[in-house]
Amino acid sequence: MSAARISMADWLRGSAVYRSIVRHGTADTNRNRSLVIFENLFLHVHPVKVREKTLRFSHTYWLGGVTLVSCLVLIATGILLMFYYHPSVPQAYRDMKELNYVVDNGLFLRNLHRWAAHLMVFAAFLHMLRVFYHRAYRPPRQFNWVVGIVLLIVTLFLSYTGYLLPWDQLAFWGVSVGTNMAKEAPLVGEKIRFLLLGGNVVSENALLRFYVLHCVVLPVALLLFLSVHIWRIRKDGGVQGPPTDADDPRQEEAE
Amino acid sequence: MVGADLRATAVPLRRLFAVSSVLFLLVLAISPAKNAFRPYRSLQRQYRKLASSRAHSLKAAQGYEARPVAIQQIWLRDFENRVDRCTTCHLGVADPLMAGAPRPFDLHPGTPHTPGGFDRFGCTSCHGGQGLATTQADAHGSTADAGPPMTPPVFIEAGCGRCHLSESVAGAPVLSRGRTLIARAGCYACHAVRGQDTFRSEAPPLATVPLKTGGEWVKRWLKDPKSIDPNATMPNFHLTDQAIDELSHFLFAVQVPKELAGRIEAAAAEPAGSSANGKKLVSESRCITCHTVEGKGKGTAPELSKIASTASRGWLLAFLREPQAFNPRTPMPRYHFSEAESRDIVAFLEEEFRDFDAPKGILEPLRVNQSLAENGRKLFRLYGCFSCHDPAGSASEKFGPELDGIGDKRAQSLDFGRRTDLARTLPAWLAAKLESPRSFADGLKMPSYGFNADDSRAVTTALLALGAQSVPDRYRYAPPQKPALLPGGPVGGLIQSYRCLSCHQIGDRGADVSTAPLTFEGSKVKRDWLVDYLMLSYTLRPILEERMPVLRMPRDDATQLADALQNFYVDPSLHEDPFAGRPASDADPAEGQRLYVGLGCRGCHILGSSGGYYGPPLTEAGKRLKPGWTYAWLKGPQRWRADVRCPDYGLSDTDALRLTAYLETLRPAASSAKPESAARGVR
Repeated sequence: MSAARISMADWLRGSAVYRSIVRHGTADTNRNRSLVIFENLFLHVHPVKVREKTLRFSHTYWLGGVTLVSCLVLIATGILLMFYYHPSVPQAYRDMKELNYVVDNGLFLRNLHRWAAHLMVFAAFLHMLRVFYHRAYRPPRQFNWVVGIVLLIVTLFLSYTGYLLPWDQLAFWGVSVGTNMAKEAPLVGEKIRFLLLGGNVVSENALLRFYVLHCVVLPVALLLFLSVHIWRIRKDGGVQGPPTDADDPRQEEAE
Repeated sequence: MVGADLRATAVPLRRLFAVSSVLFLLVLAISPAKNAFRPYRSLQRQYRKLASSRAHSLKAAQGYEARPVAIQQIWLRDFENRVDRCTTCHLGVADPLMAGAPRPFDLHPGTPHTPGGFDRFGCTSCHGGQGLATTQADAHGSTADAGPPMTPPVFIEAGCGRCHLSESVAGAPVLSRGRTLIARAGCYACHAVRGQDTFRSEAPPLATVPLKTGGEWVKRWLKDPKSIDPNATMPNFHLTDQAIDELSHFLFAVQVPKELAGRIEAAAAEPAGSSANGKKLVSESRCITCHTVEGKGKGTAPELSKIASTASRGWLLAFLREPQAFNPRTPMPRYHFSEAESRDIVAFLEEEFRDFDAPKGILEPLRVNQSLAENGRKLFRLYGCFSCHDPAGSASEKFGPELDGIGDKRAQSLDFGRRTDLARTLPAWLAAKLESPRSFADGLKMPSYGFNADDSRAVTTALLALGAQSVPDRYRYAPPQKPALLPGGPVGGLIQSYRCLSCHQIGDRGADVSTAPLTFEGSKVKRDWLVDYLMLSYTLRPILEERMPVLRMPRDDATQLADALQNFYVDPSLHEDPFAGRPASDADPAEGQRLYVGLGCRGCHILGSSGGYYGPPLTEAGKRLKPGWTYAWLKGPQRWRADVRCPDYGLSDTDALRLTAYLETLRPAASSAKPESAARGVR
């Protein structure tokens, strides 16, 4: 009996499917740990070792982490919302009402998306401020600072393009005002506005453009830069640790 | 050292984490819980219980019990894919079993569109409100972010008016009255409404004022038109004494056209006529079909009892001879009085119809002060007077705001101004605007029309019918008869001059005063009778206040008009001769007479010396009516108009033919019923 079980487990471990998923066995050696991480697409953005210091639960509560989690919530709820939403006039606003009146937990879904979006923008700003005040934009993290700024801009664009999608008065006027501000840019202002709206007024074309930007272009850009950002965090160390111990004597004192 | 720190804080941190996780889980449970306890679910369970207890059979009861709890909806593809979910709670609207059940389960009251029309019209096309919603507050529209709220029950006929576009809508008396009031008050002169672009006010042009009346009268009139003439359509502009003075000077500064001035002055110089004969002529001519005398009469035209203190003798005489020369849009027909007869009439008016309390100089002309007149001209523009009195000027641009779509306007976008006493709803705003238009803020220009509560309710209903939501074309209902073309040439001139359309309808033109629309008049009455009637009309329906005026039409005019009516205004779907070429006597008129008695026609129609007064007398039916028309009427009296009271007895073809034959034999005593004459009438 026992022998049969062992042989079955061996057979399973020997199978091509198992070996293609678990490639490096379970040996508890540093070399094996490193190999597991290096050779896995999903794990390789993590460093092999993380300093305990960087995991400390500090006063700023991992603002980058909060931003990341709200981003994941937004992706999950956003995909669900896409099942119910048509980027057309006047169906778009009617879909808001359908979410409210007919879809199970639809209002919750929509509100979750909305509040998570507010939280993401808010947390991303605080994250940036913290990085700034901790002088974490200095070498060796200067490259990640730039990536972070790009991410902040993409986040703001996502927030703005999502604003039009309910197609209510708030959305309409919000986008009217926003694109009129873009129009005031010298030389290219008119062109930018035309490009954004797909026309000269906030219309169905604008709705479609904002929808594609909001659901395809900007999320893809966000995920790309986000991967780079996280990868660099692990390379350079997070915000937590000072670039060099000499750079921040106060940090040392506090510990 | 760092590791020790972490271990020390780990225990309280874990507790905090545990508690917050549980709290978070509870928060997450709120939404599914709200979902599970939506009000419509418990209502549907109540309905199941109620309906199965009312069911007549066990099987029906089980059917009710087996109904799933689910959102119900009516999908209206024709109305831009509108969805009405009202039946999610109002479950019994189409179920006769639920008659008298408590709200929201009760049966919908019977209307022309229910219970058969729910699938075609849904609920919101009549009631308004938000069909998508599944809670009461949102569906009925009492929450701020919902769409336009439901139409309150007192204004429910506004729903009819969204599709039914004619002025008079059968079964909707409040709406019809509102539309009539709007047209009469001339609202369309200042306010644009789709379909009313051609509206022109009947208000007189003011070119002859200096020769018509006096300065004192104009001032009194401007102060409050209704105090001088209760039938006045001109509203009260609440003008200050100074503004009244300036406007009066402006009106007297107008240059009277030479031609009209000549007529008035020549008429003023004519000798006086005989008042006694005038009195006789006034009562014969049935002036009170439109005018009133001390409140008696229909009241769509000016009160006559003080007319001699309103207009000068010369003007009255010249106007009576050709009213349309003075006001091309007046509803007043041209009577063919002789010169002497018109003098007699005016003599009677001068003697009897005078305001004996008026000051002596009420008709004295005003000595014009040019600077005051110039200010008056500005006021004339400021208050939009030109919209009614010079409509050519208002045709391109309307003085007031557009009214299209006002029925769907959100209460939030209305300016309530000072009226903090009002409920913040559209109907309340409209009613208040109609009753006291200037009470919202200073500087408003809309005048008061003296609407009472009933009037303003009717007008509000008609305004609420001007929706912004589109109605598919095939749901828009205008009367089925096609607008008949008005002929040009001499016949068109006669119809204009006798103002047939002031009382009769032709197609969808004309006023709905007479019970005899002329659209198919040629199929209805015989030519010879018509000629006689036009020359000297007599009372067909004594019960009505409005009767055909005696126009004294010359024979030429009468023949020409009768021929035109016989040729143009016929119902093409009607068979001229129901007897198929055989004499009427073959169709058993004796049996028809028995039917006449049996059906109780006598209750409404006079025949010989007895009978009721509701319908027209039938003593001369054979001389007046064409048998083809009589036959079609008997088969379905509501064929031409839905509001005809004559009952539809569902007569068989044979019975209807017998009755037609009998009526065809009814002739005035002089040429009493002979089979040959009946047969001749058929031809």
